[in-house]
Amino acid sequence: MANIAAKRIKREFKEVMKSEEVAGGAIKLELVNDSWTELKGQIAGPPDTPYEGGTFLLEIKVPETYPFNPPKIRFMTKIWHPNVSSVTGAICLDILKDQWAAALTLRTVLLSIQALLSAAEPNDPQDAVVAKQYRESPQLFNLTAKHWTNVYAGGPSSIFDFNQKVQLLIDMGIDEHQARVALSTYDWELERATEQLFS
Amino acid sequence: MSAESDMEYSDNDGDDYDYYGGQDDCDMETVDRSKADPEHFIFSCLKVEEVEKLLNESIELLSNSLQITPSLAKVMLHAYEWNAEEIINKYKENANDVLVFSHVKPRVPSIQGNSSRTVCAVCANTPPIHKYSALACGHYFCNDCWAMHFEVQIKQGVSNTIQCMAQDCEVLAPEDFVLSHVTKPALRERYQQFMFKDHVKSHPQLRFCPGPNCQWIYQAWVRVGARRVECLGCETLTCFSCGAPHHAPTDCATIRRWLTKCADDSETANYISAHTKDCPKCQICIEKNGGCNHMQCGACRYDFCWVCLGDWKSHGSEYYECSRYKEDPNLANDNQHAQAREALKKYLHYYERWENHARSLKLEEQTLANLKSRINQKVMAGEGTWIDWQYLWDAARLLKRCRYTLQYTYPYAYYMEVGPRKELFEYQQAQLEAEIENLSWKVERAETTDRGDLENQMDIAEKRRTTLLKDFLEFNTNNASSSKV
Repeated sequence: MANIAAKRIKREFKEVMKSEEVAGGAIKLELVNDSWTELKGQIAGPPDTPYEGGTFLLEIKVPETYPFNPPKIRFMTKIWHPNVSSVTGAICLDILKDQWAAALTLRTVLLSIQALLSAAEPNDPQDAVVAKQYRESPQLFNLTAKHWTNVYAGGPSSIFDFNQKVQLLIDMGIDEHQARVALSTYDWELERATEQLFS
Repeated sequence: MSAESDMEYSDNDGDDYDYYGGQDDCDMETVDRSKADPEHFIFSCLKVEEVEKLLNESIELLSNSLQITPSLAKVMLHAYEWNAEEIINKYKENANDVLVFSHVKPRVPSIQGNSSRTVCAVCANTPPIHKYSALACGHYFCNDCWAMHFEVQIKQGVSNTIQCMAQDCEVLAPEDFVLSHVTKPALRERYQQFMFKDHVKSHPQLRFCPGPNCQWIYQAWVRVGARRVECLGCETLTCFSCGAPHHAPTDCATIRRWLTKCADDSETANYISAHTKDCPKCQICIEKNGGCNHMQCGACRYDFCWVCLGDWKSHGSEYYECSRYKEDPNLANDNQHAQAREALKKYLHYYERWENHARSLKLEEQTLANLKSRINQKVMAGEGTWIDWQYLWDAARLLKRCRYTLQYTYPYAYYMEVGPRKELFEYQQAQLEAEIENLSWKVERAETTDRGDLENQMDIAEKRRTTLLKDFLEFNTNNASSSKV
């Protein structure tokens, strides 16, 4: 079994390497070890989304029964998205679960994840807090996602107001990421975030 | 006696009609039996081989009349819940629709040779062209990959619904295709076992006996209302409609609600509401653990009065006038607590009785076993034959049956709305309970009880049970609302 898996991954690796997406910088694939069981993926935030300009790293684990079972993929870069856990980076995507087909490849999967960044599925959320904000205050969601892209994925838009609020909490002795999560969760209301952090 | 019981419920709108209407069988004998036993239900208990034969008959019928392989017939029967006639009729109208609906053919016909037969898209190997195969969708993959795909799927317990390996392709692999690729005997056997289980589960007329390690399968033709089926092998009583333990007079939806309610901690919330209050200052939840109404919050050290939730300071040390708290603005708040307390009390009332009868039922199981060995001793000692003592055995079994019904009257009563019908129900329930306890007493002291007396008691208890069931057991879902909410 492992034989098929390794062979497939090798071929897919080559396929991705010469694909036009790699040439265009949209996706990237890297090996982590020699056994072809672990890879590192990289996708560019799609244009006209809050993720534009950011680079997102993915952890890809290939099971022994690949390609008859799907690869296990999660975001290593922290991201604010309804279908990705803001804590673990776990992705909710049908083709990574029951809709997986052996004929799918890492390239198509990476492109599907990239497409997920352009078109979220808030009705099938992985992160309920993010999904609620996405539905109820889309503008605030956009700003928060941009802010996270800027801080964690090297995106271009730095949001002054948010940075200041995070800094205020850091000055109170709160860990930076913890402060950002609390503020993002409570729609950037300093008081409620502080209350939650100190309760 | 049957005329008497007829009288009892003939004034009871159209309910009695349902019993007989539910069984569309005009056989005189059957009607009589269903009169004597309102729970009477026509079913059979089949062995695995008999069910296999039954399924094969449907498969053969379909494959003969449509001129298709038995494997394809299986895929189609699974999709159409084993209604061969429906398939044949629809197939005559529009064969393509039937094939697409059963996932035998793809929705959009794919162009043949769509997928290459030089490189397998799954393993990237390049086997010779005769080592490829495809389903009706024309997605070719190498045989080794199909074998591996089936192995992975079968190990995950999938059998009837293994899909093609191509992306977004919903075409299902029929049995002969799967078996032509799977060579390991253990795996082939497992696949066929899963297939069989899946077929029984998808068949509306069949149900596995849920008894532990039980191999029997029930067959019946009605799947609505509380339907008693008893296993020939393990004697488990099951409801054919929903698969839960048999639950007359309670209906399937209600027993599900009740069992969920008993299993989860929905009552915890009511307990919290009934026995705790929130601190008026810091809102932390406080449980009262003593008699004194002067409370001090453990979290914020606020002193307050449990009764009115006001500051304790205002109560002074000389006089206490919380007795007039009913006129307080806290009235509404207090009402909520009272309601939660009331709800908890109601639930516990029914739950305790339900549990108690379940326990008694278990104990009486022992009585039954003891009785059997005592009868055996007597027979061995030459004190009569089995036939002489048969009545004792019958009494114990009848007791079990009555107790069982009694246990399942409690969930029914719990969800009943207050009114004359509930009063009637609870009256009959009380009557049944009293007679069951009498019977239980007499069965336990069977050797000193007069046989005539015992048989009389048996008759009374069974009469109470059937009367209650006749009045309240309903099969027709349309009319169910007339008695229940």
